[in-house]
Amino acid sequence: MTGGESVIDHGRHGCGVNVAAYALGALDPGEVDGFRRHLADCAVCRDELASFEQIVNVLPMSAPQYRAPESLRRRVVHTVAAESRMTPEVRFAPASRSRLRALRLPRPALSFGAAALALAIAAVVVVLAVGGGSSPSTRVIDAKVTGQGTASLRLYGGHAELVVNRFAAPPAGQIYEVWLQRSTGVPAPTTALFGVTGSGQASVDVPGDLHGVTHVLVTREPAGGTSAPTHAPVIVAPLS
Amino acid sequence: MNLRPRPDPLALADEDLMERVRDGDARAFEVVFERHADAAFSLAYRMCGRRAMAEDVVQEAFLSLWRSGARYDRTRGSVRSWVLGVVHNRAIDLFRRDTVRAGKDVSDDAAVERLQAPEGTEAEALRRDDATQVRGALQQLPDDQRQVIELAYFGGFTHTQIAEQLHLPAGTVKGRMRLGLTKLKLSLGDPSEAMS
Repeated sequence: MTGGESVIDHGRHGCGVNVAAYALGALDPGEVDGFRRHLADCAVCRDELASFEQIVNVLPMSAPQYRAPESLRRRVVHTVAAESRMTPEVRFAPASRSRLRALRLPRPALSFGAAALALAIAAVVVVLAVGGGSSPSTRVIDAKVTGQGTASLRLYGGHAELVVNRFAAPPAGQIYEVWLQRSTGVPAPTTALFGVTGSGQASVDVPGDLHGVTHVLVTREPAGGTSAPTHAPVIVAPLS
Repeated sequence: MNLRPRPDPLALADEDLMERVRDGDARAFEVVFERHADAAFSLAYRMCGRRAMAEDVVQEAFLSLWRSGARYDRTRGSVRSWVLGVVHNRAIDLFRRDTVRAGKDVSDDAAVERLQAPEGTEAEALRRDDATQVRGALQQLPDDQRQVIELAYFGGFTHTQIAEQLHLPAGTVKGRMRLGLTKLKLSLGDPSEAMS
């Protein structure tokens, strides 16, 4: 027992030993359901939990405060703006295979892998070490775009940002989704979903670990994104 | 017909904005995001220790709020505490999905912009005062109680994982959590207004 542990009598009711751990989100997953059932029957624990939750709610204030990165702001605001133009049924539907079936989306005429490979082979890659407004540590990679518009990938400090211009807006009920393609395996989904402005512009941070990634891909997908691509890529940015 | 213009979202309270968000109002959501994005990112960065991971957590959290139709219940607390609760849960989900936890990337500290904010609104000044009070109350806790609370809340570890790390019985860890929170409650009184 340490210095302060005798100050407070915490044995006034024996069942409360889990309350603090629950309030902090630190009960083992297997204990949670049982404790919630106990809460339904124990007013003492409910009261104690309510007071602890007030404390837990202010714990974030003790963390050092940082400004949210501008790229994060743009990404979230762009995605929400694009999705706000969709119907609520589409916007609020979960991104699941069942929803894809419900929407009766056409299967891509060209297999995703073949299309990616064809686009990658045809891609013209320009790597600029310096200049064009970039910092010395920024690499800019021009991406291959299917259709109108241009796209480039900016690499800096271990992060990547995809910038598109004069790019077509996704069809109604759809959104652009960013994927990471490694040398083997299927493309991995990211949380990056985006639409474009009225002039066809967008910039989106590419999340996730880029180690081993050979291409950053973009496809159009149902709103909310998917876990596996349903269309051929419209943007291919080679990293290797 | 006497149509009254809708108030500017910037003039609305968070709780009223959430009603508009529920109706799919992107501008209202943007205002909510702007008001709470810094606090959300700060919490996520404190938990994850990596900028990219923190950004993913915050993005997932806010987009889930948007896509879920923002099921905010004003009887259960402020919008800020609700948003931060979602961010916290997202980070913990991420920790528990990945078996290997990446440590803090100290190089990211140079890439994120620390909020200094010597100026600002009265509400921001009050919030800074409240933050100072919370940090002070945490610092006054005995080290072993503060440690288990921080490992649980910011580290996302269960009491069993903490017990293994510290080579302590699980009951001792739970007891220290409870003592620590009880003392914080005594130090801070009713802190609910601090999160409004």
